[in-house]
Amino acid sequence: MRWLLLSLALQNLGRRKARSLLLIAAVALGSGVVFTGAVLMQSIDRSMAVGFTRLGADMMVVPEGSLTNITASLLVVEPGELVLDADVLAKARLTSLGRIAAQKIVRVEHSGIGSHHESADLIGFEPERDFTVQPWLVEKINRPLQAGDVILGAVRDGVLGSQLLIFGKPHVVYGRLGRTGVGTHERGVFMSFATLDALGEAIGGHGAKPAVLAPGKVSGFLAELSPGATPLQARFAILSNVKGVKVVAGDTTLSGIRQGLAALLDGILALMVLMFASMALMVSVLFSAIVTERRAELGLLKAIGARRGQVLGVMVTEAVLATGIGGIVGVVLGVLVMRLFERSLVYYLENVGVPFLWVDLPRMVAFAAGAIVLASVIGVLGVLYPAWAASRRDAYDLVRSGA
Amino acid sequence: MLSCRSLRKSYVSERGEVLAVDGIDLDVEAGRYAAIIGRSGSGKSSLMAMVGGLSRPSDGSVVIDGTDIWGLSDDKLAAFRNRRLGFVFQFASLLPTLRLVDNVALPALLGKRGDADIYGKAATLLARMGLGDHLDAYPSECSAGEQRRAAIARALINDPVLLLADEPTSDLDEQTEIEIMDELLAVNRELGTTLVLVTHNLALAEQAGQIVHIAGGTIAS
Ligand SMILES: Nc1ncnc2c1ncn2[C@@H]1O[C@H](COP(=O)(O)OP(=O)(O)OP(=O)(O)O)[C@@H](O)[C@H]1O
Ligand SMILES: [Mg+2]
Repeated sequence: MRWLLLSLALQNLGRRKARSLLLIAAVALGSGVVFTGAVLMQSIDRSMAVGFTRLGADMMVVPEGSLTNITASLLVVEPGELVLDADVLAKARLTSLGRIAAQKIVRVEHSGIGSHHESADLIGFEPERDFTVQPWLVEKINRPLQAGDVILGAVRDGVLGSQLLIFGKPHVVYGRLGRTGVGTHERGVFMSFATLDALGEAIGGHGAKPAVLAPGKVSGFLAELSPGATPLQARFAILSNVKGVKVVAGDTTLSGIRQGLAALLDGILALMVLMFASMALMVSVLFSAIVTERRAELGLLKAIGARRGQVLGVMVTEAVLATGIGGIVGVVLGVLVMRLFERSLVYYLENVGVPFLWVDLPRMVAFAAGAIVLASVIGVLGVLYPAWAASRRDAYDLVRSGA
Repeated sequence: MLSCRSLRKSYVSERGEVLAVDGIDLDVEAGRYAAIIGRSGSGKSSLMAMVGGLSRPSDGSVVIDGTDIWGLSDDKLAAFRNRRLGFVFQFASLLPTLRLVDNVALPALLGKRGDADIYGKAATLLARMGLGDHLDAYPSECSAGEQRRAAIARALINDPVLLLADEPTSDLDEQTEIEIMDELLAVNRELGTTLVLVTHNLALAEQAGQIVHIAGGTIAS
């Protein structure tokens, strides 16, 4: 019996091929947009989340007169001779700042890192407070960072766990950072303050020991804004409370792009809601016409003993088949379109500093299933009222009015 | 077997209320052949639809085999129509997307009686109606007479106790009419199925054990 209802529904669809195809195409378009929109939204959202947590700091506090390097996606302290007291920001108790990470940076030569004449930046950070170095780790040894460990910037070669001699002292390669596009960061050799301090004698042996290696001194701070605080407030608070510093804020173009993307996503969401609504309306209009056209047949089914539920079942099966197929076609089209535009989309986003990441496969599958189910639900909703109303009428009435 | 009391049916349309059946009492004994005659528009089809459980009476009752059919719930009535009644319409009434054999089997399939060889029985019935070589044909590939005969086969698939036929031969030629009538009367005689038939053909009506003449929605004689 199930099969008979199914084949009845299939044949009914086949009877009006052009109309069925148009219906399927319309539903495919709608569910394709919903599916593609959902996947892109989630992907961009995810990419931005990763991009911005990787990003690190909102602003940087360095000694007045020092060199700074600001790029679209990252703030880094350039090595210099000027230093600050390590507790200068903490003492000021600024409410507009969130996390604060101090860095000590020393540029060295003949350290044994890289080729003979190459200079290298040794960057000390506090592992417990840091939020700009460790998030970039793309691979690491499976244990916590400890004294004697170094983390290599993206362009430096080194096997994980292997030994690296710095001024003749053995260190262990603990991990490696991902590409950031920032020279200092990519060429840097990162280590805890303790590890850097232990190298102090060796570095100082060739001349004066760098000022920054004195206890309680740092090259600068990377800071986050506390929630709700604006860069302007924070800058004003710092400059009026701390002497001899310079405040550098992150690039504002990136936050502009971020806001633009958010607006775009809102637009896609609104479009999806509209699409859903118009699809539901169209399907219900179409199916009330189809039910009217089929009145005689529905009456006949009733006359030979089909229960109301079975009469409803025939129409619902037909609607779910049409819209469900439409949903599947839409998902397939969506996947094709995303494949087609993947390169340009990824290229564009990476250009503006957002490394693009697709949502993972299980999620993609869930979205696909969701789009197909949604399309079928629209079919059920669209047909339910007209079919229910028809199934209530007397069989003879239906047969006569349709004949 | 069949007993109708003060049956009434009025239709409400834009032009006002039409009283199609106006208080009919009718009794038909089991195994009988009753013929209903009357002019066009006298209310014959309206009466048949109420007796067949297809159209709810405005008033009155229909009792078949002790069951007051309009007192049943919607689903129970559907099951009753399915198991106990066979109805042959005045017009073509096959589902166009199904083969003849599927059309005939459909009432049995709807009844969910998985025990019997439904398709075997459908084929036998079609063969009996002279359609043995049309099993796989679609209604659109059959003549009006062939379609009407398939509709009779469909009405018989669940071995009904009451067969209702509303002018089953109305738009057919004389020879076909005779063939189809012979089949219906054979069913009545051989299977003992009670038959109520609406016809314009007085010669056919005269073979009936009971003639009911309807005029203006009431019984005339
Ligand atoms: N659905 C309806 N709405 C309004 N009036 C109706 C409806 N069905 C039937 N009628 C009217 O009821 C009366 C009886 O109709 P019915 O079909 O029962 O007649 P009939 O005796 O079967 O006629 P025929 O021999 O032409 O088939 C007619 O006047 C008809 O116009
Ligand atoms: Mg009639």
